[in-house]
Amino acid sequence: MSPVKTSYLVAAFIIIIIIVGVGAFFAGRATAPLKTITSPITSSAPGTSTTSPGQEELIIFHWWTAGGEKQAIEKLFQIYHEKYPNIKIVPNPIPGGGGVNLKAVLMSRLSAGIPPDTFQSLSGAELKSYVDAGYLQPVDQIWKETGLINHVPPLLKKVSYFYGHFYGVPISVHRANWLWYNKKIFDQLGLKPPTTVPELLQVCKTIKEKMPNVWPIALGMREKWEIVFIFDDLLLYYGGPQYYQRFYTGRVNFNNQTDVKPVEEALQTLETMIKDGYIYPYSASLTWDQSVALVAHGKAAMVFIGDFALGYFLANGYKPGVDFDGVPFPQKPTEVFLMIVDEFTLPKGAPHEDAAIKWLKLLADPQAEFEFTKIKGSIAPRLDAPTNYPDKFRQENVKFYREHPNLVIPMSAHGVLAPLAFLRDYFDLMAQFVTQPNVDQTIHQLSQLFVKDMVKEQSEWYWSQS
Amino acid sequence: MKASYRYAIIFLTPLFFILGILYFMTFWTIYISFTNWVGMRPNYQLAGLKWYSYMLSSDKFWVSLKNNLLWLVVFIVPTAILGLLIAYVLELYIVRGESIYRTIFLYPTALSFVVTGTLWAWIYDPANGVINSILSRLGIDTSHLGWICDPNIATYCLIAAAIWQYTGFAIVLFQSALRGGYLKSIIEAALVDGAHGWRLLWYVIVPNIRSAFVIVAALLAIFSLKVFDLVYVMTQGGPGISTYVLAFYMYMATFWKEMVSLGAAISVVIFALSMIIIIPYSYYALKRWLMK
Repeated sequence: MSPVKTSYLVAAFIIIIIIVGVGAFFAGRATAPLKTITSPITSSAPGTSTTSPGQEELIIFHWWTAGGEKQAIEKLFQIYHEKYPNIKIVPNPIPGGGGVNLKAVLMSRLSAGIPPDTFQSLSGAELKSYVDAGYLQPVDQIWKETGLINHVPPLLKKVSYFYGHFYGVPISVHRANWLWYNKKIFDQLGLKPPTTVPELLQVCKTIKEKMPNVWPIALGMREKWEIVFIFDDLLLYYGGPQYYQRFYTGRVNFNNQTDVKPVEEALQTLETMIKDGYIYPYSASLTWDQSVALVAHGKAAMVFIGDFALGYFLANGYKPGVDFDGVPFPQKPTEVFLMIVDEFTLPKGAPHEDAAIKWLKLLADPQAEFEFTKIKGSIAPRLDAPTNYPDKFRQENVKFYREHPNLVIPMSAHGVLAPLAFLRDYFDLMAQFVTQPNVDQTIHQLSQLFVKDMVKEQSEWYWSQS
Repeated sequence: MKASYRYAIIFLTPLFFILGILYFMTFWTIYISFTNWVGMRPNYQLAGLKWYSYMLSSDKFWVSLKNNLLWLVVFIVPTAILGLLIAYVLELYIVRGESIYRTIFLYPTALSFVVTGTLWAWIYDPANGVINSILSRLGIDTSHLGWICDPNIATYCLIAAAIWQYTGFAIVLFQSALRGGYLKSIIEAALVDGAHGWRLLWYVIVPNIRSAFVIVAALLAIFSLKVFDLVYVMTQGGPGISTYVLAFYMYMATFWKEMVSLGAAISVVIFALSMIIIIPYSYYALKRWLMK
């Protein structure tokens, strides 16, 4: 082609790039208030409406896809469907524990202005990140109408309450600080489950001496967060509940020797446990349920993980009190209920807001909460829900939950206290500690991490409310 | 003349359209890396080099960079050499069933990385995996062989899995080069002269297979910079942070930490590294093309 025509092509190319670029920029930009979608979207892509006009829908995003959780959420769907038979439920389960993948999907949907009717979220700072982005509507009305506001522990209110409004409706409460152990091994060695850290170390020592083929403590570090369960229990023992909350909201003064001491002691204990060979060495290749499997099969004696392990044991046919057993840990000097809360939200611009509100009201119903949590393995958030759970572990949970509401504090690993941005680096730091324990270096890096990820500023909300 | 010009516009417009979006997205990402987008809502306010300094001050970044460079060297060289050797054997020494062997070698390349990663994670498992089971049966003490649970050798284990997967790809590329007219006639001449085996490979083929080698190296280099799936499935950057790579750090920063500007800054680094590799290759290829 002649030079003139080539330059026409180049010019056309540049013009097309500019048009496409500018158009894409404005189309993808989420500016002022999200537009409210008033008519059903009729495409058949997942997560969008697929019905004819006249039939209501509930587009719901959640991450309960594992065994036990799946049946639990389906029970809730069943109750909802019985109550509102003309509302079609469009579930969008996105596998990935703790909602890591759900968040990625939600980020794009919410910023594009096509929110679902409701989605699952954790509480605290996690929930607040949606509120700060302006994607959620307050649900005060639901809390008041269903009486939820009067029947939950104060801390549960605190982690759902921001800027003067409630933004989530809790559905289930798990307890994180459980110690599960293989009953047969303990019986064989005549051991009692430990209630303090010195007792724990003694038990580990005994197991290591008498049964060298059994690892005292199982650990699954494939997803890195499991070490935090052990560390949190140690921190609770050495520092107590108040210190725990201060630590995870960035308020521990790392320049003050006395203030850092509990962290130091916890890390030193962890270092001892690693160096003395009490912890399963190939933890990097196991997921959390594989670490529980180690205990179930007798290859390890104990595992520190929440009461969701109960679901694993029961689903695989192990009998409580015979094959396995569990105790809260630590029990002295202060026993604490480390709470993990799952909530559902009401996005702004939800296509079927009415259906979503009905769903949220159902979640706040004591009987529905009981039905759901009975299958899930957790306990109901409401203090006036039925309590006849089939196993003793949950009965113990409920008892402690009701008798000591001020000792019910949020667990760290789900982004309730410290935001997830900090936690991800924190998990990596603790994972490094497991492979190469170095207490001083870790404390130094921790202090830098708290500052770098602005934990203190971002958790002002936790301390400023009454 | 006029008719072909019109056809050119019709056929090229969709391509320009897609290229337009691609280039726009690249520049958009570079722009985002200078903003302060943290959290769920896009934030386009400029924040200068804030996230670049955050990135440079995080030890994960330097570990990732080191690992990516490690991948570049330790992945490309064995894959290319193995590819050439096996292609040579298949092309010149195996007469019957040659296509069957080639298919067998090519199977792993057809697997998704998730499958490869899961498979090799099981193979490498120190307690129950295939490698340690076989070794302990042979009487070797495997308690010190942690494979992907050992922070010192974990990356090499991942690279080994990638070499397994991509050798077939290199074999196919080298075989097609060996069958190309120019090289084929040189080889036939050498065979007539009595060269075979090692001499044929070293003195005849290797000096003349440069263009195929450059193609293989460039494609494998792009893969090394983009590697994510294997790391995500096998170790999630662990144990500790020893197998972190830039693409995984970028994913983690964007979707798990919700620091989107940080993720954009990391992607700019990946982009810059790719440019360093692609530009010499493009220059080389363009020069050869213009010479013909």
